[in-house]
Amino acid sequence: MDGGAPTGEIDKTIVNFIRVVRGADVRVSVAETLDAVAVVNFVGWEDREILKQGLGLAVAKTPEEKTRFNACFDAFFAAVADNDDHDDDEDRPDGPVETDDKLAKMLLDADQSELMVAMEEAATEVGIENIKFFTQRGLYTQRIMRQMGLEGLDAAIREAQAGEGSGQGQGQGEGGDPSGQGGGEAATLEAARSRLFEATRDLVEKRLSLYGSETSRDLREGRLRRSRLGNLDRRDQEEMRRLVAKIAKRLAALHSRKPKRRNRGTLDLRRTMRRNYANDGIMFNLEWKRKKISKPKVMAICDVSGSVATVARFLLQFLYALHDILNDVRSFAFSGKLIETSDFFKRHDVDTAVDHIMNAVGYMPTDYGHSFENFREQGFLDDLDKRTTVVILGDGRSNNTEPRADILKEIHERSKRILWLNPEPPPLWGTGDSEILRYRPYCHMHREVNTLSHLERFVNELVHVVKASS
Amino acid sequence: MLEQHAAKLADIDAITNGFAELGYICSKSIATAIFIAGNLEKPILVEGPAGVGKTELANTMAAFMDLPMIRLQCYEGLDEAKALYEWRYAKQLLYTQILRDKIGEVLGGAETLAASMDKLHQHSDLFFSEQFVAPRPILQAMREEGGSVLLIDEIDKADHEFEAFLLEVLSEFQVSIPELGTIKAKQKPFVFLTSNNTRELSDALKRRCLHLYVPFPEAKLEQQILRARVPDLTDALMQQLVAFVQGVRELDLKKHPSVSETLDWARALMLLNASELDGDLVRQTLNVILKFEEDITVVDRQALELVRMSEKAVRR
Repeated sequence: MDGGAPTGEIDKTIVNFIRVVRGADVRVSVAETLDAVAVVNFVGWEDREILKQGLGLAVAKTPEEKTRFNACFDAFFAAVADNDDHDDDEDRPDGPVETDDKLAKMLLDADQSELMVAMEEAATEVGIENIKFFTQRGLYTQRIMRQMGLEGLDAAIREAQAGEGSGQGQGQGEGGDPSGQGGGEAATLEAARSRLFEATRDLVEKRLSLYGSETSRDLREGRLRRSRLGNLDRRDQEEMRRLVAKIAKRLAALHSRKPKRRNRGTLDLRRTMRRNYANDGIMFNLEWKRKKISKPKVMAICDVSGSVATVARFLLQFLYALHDILNDVRSFAFSGKLIETSDFFKRHDVDTAVDHIMNAVGYMPTDYGHSFENFREQGFLDDLDKRTTVVILGDGRSNNTEPRADILKEIHERSKRILWLNPEPPPLWGTGDSEILRYRPYCHMHREVNTLSHLERFVNELVHVVKASS
Repeated sequence: MLEQHAAKLADIDAITNGFAELGYICSKSIATAIFIAGNLEKPILVEGPAGVGKTELANTMAAFMDLPMIRLQCYEGLDEAKALYEWRYAKQLLYTQILRDKIGEVLGGAETLAASMDKLHQHSDLFFSEQFVAPRPILQAMREEGGSVLLIDEIDKADHEFEAFLLEVLSEFQVSIPELGTIKAKQKPFVFLTSNNTRELSDALKRRCLHLYVPFPEAKLEQQILRARVPDLTDALMQQLVAFVQGVRELDLKKHPSVSETLDWARALMLLNASELDGDLVRQTLNVILKFEEDITVVDRQALELVRMSEKAVRR
């Protein structure tokens, strides 16, 4: 319905815009892209406000996505709008300069918007939307300028210089001053050329921040997922927390489907007979079998001594982010002694809670035996039942104290399963003061977990088995 | 889309004005959403806090377009039979009874079993036919000749499985009944889905809808709404009221008062013949806008300050 630009071009702009929006972590499907195109075709490009609202309707589907979408929209279309209000500041040459080159003419003309349009076209021609890394800035700047006819301009400059060189006889007095009035066609062209360079680089910078964010974020996230949690840089912590929250949210969405009640439609004969005694045994009211939905319980026991603390923090963040699904999570932390930490998480957010826990039990030499004794003394063993999954996180390095594997055996007997997560890689298991091999027989699963992707996989499986058995 | 519909949805200002005449003051984003969804014939998923007028939006749309309003309230356990269609079992049973009585005539003295089967096959099968379908809201909306407004209210309360039933309706505007085939909408209905976001809706559902988020209104819009809905309210009290409620929304509460609560409060104050807010009046009537004891305690403590702030807003 918008008569202006041909459809092909519209599609390209929209497709680029959608890519930018995806880069800002808004999920846009192909169907939604088509909707966006339909919206654009319907409302046209003229009214920015309506276009923004309309695209927002079609593309961003949660309040958070709307916020990010709006930011993207403003940035993306500002890049286009910028071009209109450029044509003032620059100092322009006074007299008209004679030249045949198209680009040079455009540069020296007062009309900046025409130049911007040309630059925009050149940028599209060289595929600026493929820019990914900041190292490509120079390359793209060069490509755009060449596309606009830089060679012609350079030739014109050389020609002018040559011309001035030969005509030096007359104009010798003002030779050294490049910006001198009227003088130096070559200098004027040089100045225009550097203006062009500045403008082009500006454009490339802006596009990089639009298009590059997706790739660099993916790269960063990929690296974070694979890197050892123990060696995490302090400045990555924040990013990591965000990532964990994101993954946890995805897992929650994945598992939030309620288990369907099986067994429906089977007659419960016993209850039917009992209910129908009153009817002289005529089976008037039927009773159907029902499956009781039991709530799974998870107990996480985490070693929070220095080496394991980071992993513990992220494991706990995961478990508490999933509280909707794992509705009964209790956590315990130990190093020298053991305390229950569930209350910390009820009262504070994960970060504060972890800090409190570290103050309470952290920074002590690890003593597994004593901690297990604590667990028994405080009566937590009685809280275990056949629906409880126990997750233990620790390296099993007990500083040569008695490991008390017998208590772990008791836990094993009372609970449904014990899953042991070990941040150490397998070759180190059982070396030095590691007692892990004595604990291992009582664990249903024992696995190396020290990166975020390990953790993600584990939590995913945990939710699966816990839910399947409920 | 029918011509008279297209005319009504021709531009955004017409929609805004038309809705305002019906007492629904909509922000620009809402009007734009109606404009685009109406013209592109896409369902709208309306999300936002409770009481900002999501359901009312569909009601007003029905009144504005002069179309029947068909509402489907979702709840846990809602199934196909209650939302799409159902077979009229009693009628079907009756039909078989009649058939048994008439079977002799139908077969018309066929001698062999094969011959009578042949005769029976020639007879049209009425058992699963449209006469025996009891349409439920969605099928009903498909059957409306002149179009309709279909409101699927609080979709987040329904089960995950139910969302899947809706997908065909939302994208193709048709319903498949296995025994009969596909029933296409005679005239595409305007579909509204509302959600209070108690759970995440599936991507498949979201993909098929335009998504409109209705937040709490800004002060100015809220004043307009009050003026339209409670016309007897004095300007001074109205401004004070709105400033107060907006202040309350800034606080950390379990449930923030929404537009419907502001309206209730305004009506209550009218009954009490109040001319301006003061500390005592606010304390006595706080339970109109706040629904939790803890929230009332929190606001109560800051009531005076909020009143002072709202007075300032009026003077300005």
